Amino acid sequence: MASHSWHSLRNSFFGAALLLLIAAATVALNSLAQASGNPPQSSSNTKQDRWLHVRVENPDAKDEIVRVNVPLELAERVLPTIDRDSLHHGKVRVDQIDCHGVDLRALLDAVRASKDGEFVTVQNKDADVRVAKQNNYFLVHVIDRKNSKKAHVEVKVPMKVVEALLSSGKDELDLVAGLHALSTQGDTELVSVKDERNTVRVWLDSKNVSD
Amino acid sequence: MLLAKLALGFGGTLLVAGAYTFHEGVMRVDEDHVNVRHVHVWLPAAVVPLALHVIPKHQLERAAEQASPWLPTLRALTKELKKYPEAELINVRDSNQRVHIRTHNGKLLIDVDGSEEQVHLACPLAVIDDVSSELEANAPTV
Repeated sequence: MASHSWHSLRNSFFGAALLLLIAAATVALNSLAQASGNPPQSSSNTKQDRWLHVRVENPDAKDEIVRVNVPLELAERVLPTIDRDSLHHGKVRVDQIDCHGVDLRALLDAVRASKDGEFVTVQNKDADVRVAKQNNYFLVHVIDRKNSKKAHVEVKVPMKVVEALLSSGKDELDLVAGLHALSTQGDTELVSVKDERNTVRVWLDSKNVSD
Repeated sequence: MLLAKLALGFGGTLLVAGAYTFHEGVMRVDEDHVNVRHVHVWLPAAVVPLALHVIPKHQLERAAEQASPWLPTLRALTKELKKYPEAELINVRDSNQRVHIRTHNGKLLIDVDGSEEQVHLACPLAVIDDVSSELEANAPTV
């Protein structure tokens, strides 16, 4: 009887050990398969992600570069969790931002309410400035001729984004709503700045790297 | 015979632990300061959440209290980053230093290379999620 119990105990032990080994081997093989070139599947494969890219380059110093690539969905989810300084629940208080006397919200509100057209046009020997609303885009175009190398600024923001930014209360801009509106847009260049030292580009596309 | 069985049991356990570690990866922190100190920590990722249960409760509560304003952000960030296991996020460099933040194989990699110091961090996103959950559970309730 004792011998039988010992026998079944030994069988159970070996059975359990065998199961452990199989489980370990399965986990190890699974990990090896992932490591050997089958990248982990992600939800990003199922739908097209929208990425916001920022790139700053200095053509005279090739070793100076800034590259930022942010998935819009990530920014949309993370921003509301930040409750710091002027940023609360994905909204930024503009009354605390120094815009050199310009009421940013009032300016954007005026642009939203007006029809297509040019709001500001300045052309002289030093500068060429144009602020306009055209084909559902808010456009800013600046050429600064004061410096030896001309500086260019081009800003192109979809009006849907401007409207979403203004959808919050007074003195606030709803950044999350703005990002959400941006995510529905096609590939587009939002900001391009070129001065004598740096070139800055901010654009939107579906690639997860800036080339 | 008994020794053989013990060895088999120990070997099996080790294999499972090793396989789990291999599966979860390694958390790596390397910190180098010129002529001052070098810190290199390689930890099996599976150990980190376990270690949190060993830390004295008051220490964990203090850490949780300090980190609490940022824990929701950390959790949201980790959850979202898991959707992007291979992504270049930030690459900033000038003639003196470089900061590179990316995800690779489900790990968050942060490399800071300066003329005076270097810090390299590689941490599985799952571990960051586990640690932030543990800290959140220990954070003081308002």
